[in-house]
Amino acid sequence: MECTEIREIISAYVDGEASPEEARRVEEHLGSCAECRSAEKRMRALGVAVTRTEGAVPHDFRENLFARMEAEDLLPKRRSIFVFSVRWAAVPLAAAAAMALYVISSREAPRELSSTAVGPPRVASEMPGPGTTSPAVPGKEERKTQVVANGGKLSPEDREIVANLEILEDPDLFDEPQIDEMEIFVPSSRRRG
Amino acid sequence: MDGMRTDAELMELYRRGSRDAFEELYARHHRRVIHFCYRMTGDQARAEEAAQEVFLRIARAASTYQPTARFTTWMYTIARRTTLNFLRDEKEDGEKVPIHDNGEGRDAAEGLPLPGPEEWDPERIAWGKQLKEKFLEALQNLPEGHRSALLLNRGEGLSYDEVATVLNITVQAVKSRIFRAREALLAELSGVLK
Repeated sequence: MECTEIREIISAYVDGEASPEEARRVEEHLGSCAECRSAEKRMRALGVAVTRTEGAVPHDFRENLFARMEAEDLLPKRRSIFVFSVRWAAVPLAAAAAMALYVISSREAPRELSSTAVGPPRVASEMPGPGTTSPAVPGKEERKTQVVANGGKLSPEDREIVANLEILEDPDLFDEPQIDEMEIFVPSSRRRG
Repeated sequence: MDGMRTDAELMELYRRGSRDAFEELYARHHRRVIHFCYRMTGDQARAEEAAQEVFLRIARAASTYQPTARFTTWMYTIARRTTLNFLRDEKEDGEKVPIHDNGEGRDAAEGLPLPGPEEWDPERIAWGKQLKEKFLEALQNLPEGHRSALLLNRGEGLSYDEVATVLNITVQAVKSRIFRAREALLAELSGVLK
């Protein structure tokens, strides 16, 4: 076969598109024709050149494209971050709300306290020793006496702290029913006990 | 999600309103679209504009996509038509500007020491920057139909049959165009051999 006739078949052969019969004829011709072997090499080199010719991808290409698509209503927008944070902030938000209710309610309960006491209020009493019958937490009257004995000079803020500490030590002082904050956001089905 | 979704499945999801599906399609194909546009237009800026337009057209035409055809075949049909528009705009503006001009009206790559025919070993040839630029310029000098056929097959990996679908021609016509593109490129590149 003449070289000029087979060159187009060699081109298809290089691309893997020659039929089995065509491939056989090409390989047979290449075996005896140096010029066509050289032509085959050059054709393959052009294929490599094509693959090595690449455009650059700008760093903002995606951003610009998606902005244009959103402007044309071709791309649904991402969900609002606010929705995301509400879902994940439910637990701490509920806890914060419970604490706020607790503090507000404790401030509304009337309490009697000497305004002349100074110094840090007692937070915890000594642990009762074996055989003793004294309570772990001193009674209300005893605590008041201790506060008065410290000099009786409390600022309004100190009085507030003392009032809240008394409630924490003795839940009976709190008129509202005891609330388990965890019940607010833990489903009953998951609770233990 | 079990396994990777096909392009056709992603298109269907996108048509139903899934942004993630389109983002996945974009991630899979944006590089090849940019490369194709660059090879077709020979210019980075024009390639970026064309590539953006390709994806916009894909999105606008999503309702017309038929999953019976491969997504990439449909995508390259859009890509080729899009780049044609950019090439037509260029022709209306006047003569093509050489990629590199040394200020004297001649191609700066003239006289470039390219390897001789006996050295065209595809594994050993050194495609340096100058050679790449000369090659890109030579591509732009091909008739668009020949350039498209060569780039879709050699650059994008489409079979002759798929190229025929994209270009709406016969397989024999694809075979002939690619052969003539090769002949023209070799003639142009060989002309600057020292």
